[in-house]
Amino acid sequence: MHWSKVFVAMLGLLAPAAYAMAQAGLAYETIQPEHIRLGESATLRVTSLDGDLPNVPLPVVSGLSFELIGRAQGLEFVNGTSIPSTSILIRVTPQMAGIFSIPGLSPKSEPVVLDVVSADDSNPSALIKPKPTPTPPLVASTPLPKGVQLKAGGGAFVQLVIPTRAVYVGESVPVDIEVGVRPGIVTSLNGLPTLNGGEFTLNNLSRQPERRDKVIDGSPFLIMTWHSVIAAVKPGDFSLSVDTPLSVKINTRSAEDMAFAAWLGGPFLQSMYNGIAPKDVTVTSPSSELKVLPLPAEGRPKDFSGAVGDFQVSSDISSTRAAAGDPLTLRLHVTGVGNFDRVDSTMFDHLDHWKTYPAKSSFTPGDAVGYKGEKVFEQPLIAAQPGEQSIPGLDFSYFSPSTQRYERLRTSPLKVTIAASLADSSLSAPVQPRSLHGASARRSAPGLRPDHPQPQSSVSGFTPLYFQAPFLAVPAALALILAGGWFAVRPNPARASSKAAARALAQLRAAARSDDSSSFFDVARQVLLQTFAARWQMSPDQITVADLRGRLGAAGEDIERLFAIADEAKYSDHQPGSADYQRWLGLVRGQLVGGRG
Amino acid sequence: MRAPTIAMLILGLGLWGGQSLAQPSQPRYSADGLYNLANSYARAGKPGLAVLNYERAALLAPNDADINANLEYVRAGAGVRPEPRNRIARVAEAAGPTASAWAGVLGIALLGGALLAGRISPRFPWLRFGGIALGGALIALTVANAMLLWPRMHEAVVLVNQTPARVSPVPMGDTAFILPEAETVSVTAEHEDFILIRTRAGLSGWVARANLGAVVPQAR
Repeated sequence: MHWSKVFVAMLGLLAPAAYAMAQAGLAYETIQPEHIRLGESATLRVTSLDGDLPNVPLPVVSGLSFELIGRAQGLEFVNGTSIPSTSILIRVTPQMAGIFSIPGLSPKSEPVVLDVVSADDSNPSALIKPKPTPTPPLVASTPLPKGVQLKAGGGAFVQLVIPTRAVYVGESVPVDIEVGVRPGIVTSLNGLPTLNGGEFTLNNLSRQPERRDKVIDGSPFLIMTWHSVIAAVKPGDFSLSVDTPLSVKINTRSAEDMAFAAWLGGPFLQSMYNGIAPKDVTVTSPSSELKVLPLPAEGRPKDFSGAVGDFQVSSDISSTRAAAGDPLTLRLHVTGVGNFDRVDSTMFDHLDHWKTYPAKSSFTPGDAVGYKGEKVFEQPLIAAQPGEQSIPGLDFSYFSPSTQRYERLRTSPLKVTIAASLADSSLSAPVQPRSLHGASARRSAPGLRPDHPQPQSSVSGFTPLYFQAPFLAVPAALALILAGGWFAVRPNPARASSKAAARALAQLRAAARSDDSSSFFDVARQVLLQTFAARWQMSPDQITVADLRGRLGAAGEDIERLFAIADEAKYSDHQPGSADYQRWLGLVRGQLVGGRG
Repeated sequence: MRAPTIAMLILGLGLWGGQSLAQPSQPRYSADGLYNLANSYARAGKPGLAVLNYERAALLAPNDADINANLEYVRAGAGVRPEPRNRIARVAEAAGPTASAWAGVLGIALLGGALLAGRISPRFPWLRFGGIALGGALIALTVANAMLLWPRMHEAVVLVNQTPARVSPVPMGDTAFILPEAETVSVTAEHEDFILIRTRAGLSGWVARANLGAVVPQAR
């Protein structure tokens, strides 16, 4: 390289930097802190030194959310001179880990870079923070993996690592997806890697990849590795690749300029990219060939559920001693490696002397992608009868890629002792604690009242009499009989009136014997009025002389005469003879007994 | 129909009812036998079965002081809150269920006989009114006794400590709450091997049938 070229290159590099620094005196953009964990927030500050800072639109960056906090006034000290400044504060909260480039919010400000690492990363600043001492290097420089090429202007590469052997349909195959990016050139990862090809399913791709620094061909790279599992849905020969969306600053300067800037150091190299807006690109990995074999039809067990891998089984029960009716839980443990999503067992559909319930399963992964682990099937069982019960072994079938045939496993039978139900044995005496002499201990526990003597009477059940149908027939029949009697012994009006008439005549005779004319005629009038009133269906007060004459004819006149004498006897102390008493008594008797006088 | 005829009818009906209820059947229970059985369970350290048999004994002899004392003692020992009984309940349960049942029959006979006699003859009104009042009181006593006893007919005692009450009648149903042994609960529904219970606190849940003992065993 000639010195003239070096001089021109330096001028070319320093000129934009000087221009940018001059512009930065008027407006600039900072973010603090530059490295955060997922779940934390950073503050983006847009500062203007010329006293005029209009409202800025909130930026739109995939994976980041922005919230306007407010404005601040202050002083900036530049070369010992205080300059009034105006700032806009914006809270930046990431939704995912990655390296994000936030564009300048005002025409005078530069983009800033925010690095977000996972929440459990111990040192977020360690990812792209420039190392203060480049020697000795943290990692040795290595070449690119075989068959992999740098893309996006040399800023990134993607690699899919899959096994080279043939796999079977449904088999879970662990894969690694490696994405290498150059910090500062790749500004953000805009999404998770996706698998090309509908013949495969990509499972359990974690959002947080493993991260490590690596120097590849002399350039620092951040390597992000996702571990996952793919499964083929049909047999055949397939070509697999992975797409990864990135935002990259693609430099259009010549390779010589870039090499010279790299020779000058990191700040100069980074300055080459400062003025370049990031561009969204999709980086695709080189294709990997994979052969998928069909599962053999020969020897396939009837209960084969599609499990492919290497498994072991065992079983246990929640308790080997229980009472009839107590729920027990029978467990089938399936451990190993393989496609646990296809590991299935219906346990027992029917079991003699047991009541079975549908089983449920739970899976505990042994690694990040669920390729290893343990699946447990739990089936509730209820013993129907007491005694020694044997639960037969459980079968499990799977296809083993290592032996390339179907395997069938069986657990050991389980012995369970079932006692009689507590509810059923509640009316039988428990085993009494025995004394030294063998006699039953009748001593009461402290505070417990002693036993009663042997009972003399007993009943056949606990249901009270009035809730028993045979007994309820007794009061029901009795009530029916009484109700029937009520209607059967309807009172006789004629007999009642004859008794009343007899009582009235007795009163009249007594009055006649005592020669009490006032009482005699008064009773006679009352009795006759009540009799006529009942006979004519009217009130005694409404009976008039016209009624007596019209309804009784000639007898009416005698009755009218009796009423007149009754008035005389009451008010003038008239005393009729004994013959008169008999006459009037006969008249009254005729009306009461005969109906008409 | 004459009064002697009605009296004969009542007497005949009573004899028939007594004869039908006096039929021998197996097994037979007594309050004293159940009380002794409950004591043996209490001594054996099984408060659930002890409370169950005390409850059954109290059903047959509600005023037995020993039964009620030991029931409260065992409940207290098991950490179960005792069941409060008000004065009305104590009066209504003064007589046993059997005596109450026959008192009700006597009340019906007195009430009906008095009404019938008044219809036949108006004489001796004080005697008729007395019969009506006494008959009505006996019927009321029987009805009150039956109403107080009816809920206890549908009660059960938890026999196993830490019995889970589930939200659904299946063994793998989520546990709603835990019942202590010797707790008395009300049975509101049944489904296969599970019983829907309600506690005195108003909580409801499904409990395995094997973990409960019905105060009045169901006929099988």
